[in-house]
Amino acid sequence: MAKRLLLEDQISRNKRNTVIICALMFILLFGVISVMGYIWFGEPLYATVIGIPIALVYILMSYRFSVEAVIKASGARPVDLSVRQEKLLDNKVEELCIASGLPKPRVYIQDTQDINAFATGKKPENSVVCVTMGALEKLTGEELEGVLAHELAHIQNRDVLLATVTIGVVGSIALISEILLRSFLWGGGSSREGKHIYLILLGILFAILAPIFAHMTHLAISRKREYLADASGAHMTRNPGGLASALEKIQKSVPVKPKGSKTVASLYISNPFSRSKKSSFWSTHPPTDERIERLRNM
Amino acid sequence: METILIAVAAVLFLVISVYYYNKIVRLENRIDNSWAQIDVQLKRRADLIPNLMEAVKGYMKHEKTVLENVTKARSALMSAKTPQESIDADNMLTGALKSLFAVSENYPDLKASQNFLQLQDELTTTENKVAYSRQHFNDSVLLFNNTIEAIPGNLFAKLMGKKEREMLKAEEADRKVPKVSF
Repeated sequence: MAKRLLLEDQISRNKRNTVIICALMFILLFGVISVMGYIWFGEPLYATVIGIPIALVYILMSYRFSVEAVIKASGARPVDLSVRQEKLLDNKVEELCIASGLPKPRVYIQDTQDINAFATGKKPENSVVCVTMGALEKLTGEELEGVLAHELAHIQNRDVLLATVTIGVVGSIALISEILLRSFLWGGGSSREGKHIYLILLGILFAILAPIFAHMTHLAISRKREYLADASGAHMTRNPGGLASALEKIQKSVPVKPKGSKTVASLYISNPFSRSKKSSFWSTHPPTDERIERLRNM
Repeated sequence: METILIAVAAVLFLVISVYYYNKIVRLENRIDNSWAQIDVQLKRRADLIPNLMEAVKGYMKHEKTVLENVTKARSALMSAKTPQESIDADNMLTGALKSLFAVSENYPDLKASQNFLQLQDELTTTENKVAYSRQHFNDSVLLFNNTIEAIPGNLFAKLMGKKEREMLKAEEADRKVPKVSF
């Protein structure tokens, strides 16, 4: 990817890709439901009665996962405005919010030496930006600004909401496939006779593969949104170099496992649980080198 | 059949009109709102100056011109009427403050004062806020202008009597946010 892309083009391209991948995910969900319908009732559309409620419940369940829960799990604390360094951080966040027209999120600090940051909140009015002490101490003003803008861009692009919904869809695809496979094991399905054996085998294969694909599409969305947040963050600060050099620093630093569960890994600016340089279908973030290159080319 | 077609076309036209009307109104309000934001920051900045003067006057008795320039720029800012006038006065104030902070390097007692440090931080952040709110203003103007110049927005803009808005011009010197050295 040596091609030079305009910032606006990067933004719109990443948005379009997200829509395509999301559509793919819903097709997958619809596919599992249809297979279930065909195998159980001999009619693909019949199973929507069971499938759609399952999916809805799952999405609602993942929707309930709240800002407070994430903050609590990460062990972060609110900024202390009487400390100059933290007051300056709070100022920076407020400045960038003015640049983007966002309401100011609450600012939290995680007391760890790792350089990292994350944002959470399903809507801009109630969201949190959290920065590690390491980032506050080791990054220069411009670098910190780049990192904060990236996080605010996640809030502006409603990435947490998107992730919540996709996690819900992935979960329901997994659950429906599981039910299907179990029903095969126990010989469920009242009217098996009269159906083509190959079609049934194909259905089983689909039920096995669908959850894997679903998980992969979820991760692909997560990676696209990282690029998008990098680009919209750069638009906010008008300075892509700041974030690029912050990412270089992060790459060189030794990662320290943060408190909190792996489920929030995709929220961080750089995945704190794995910092491999290779891109793979299993990463929540795009490779850092590629991100730096794109920022440098803006 | 024909009547149905006409009805569908009419409804479609109505929906598109409402969409564009609302969009243009929303974008224009956003411009006014972002101007208000600049204004808030400029006022805040002007309000901080007397405190700063109070804090430094005991120390900087011999820097008359520096202090006068700041006061002058402040009153220009207070009396500015048009957006461009305010912005120009603000640029003047930025320059005056820059020399004030540069001179303050010669007064270790002043630099050690907690009050002065806080005012300096406060002025720095308002300065950045002014710069960012101007950027947001220009972004909003660009979006508005793009909408009312492109098809079919231009038709609706004409009907609503909306004209292109003007962006705030940035001077070469203030493209980069001035950094106050600590």
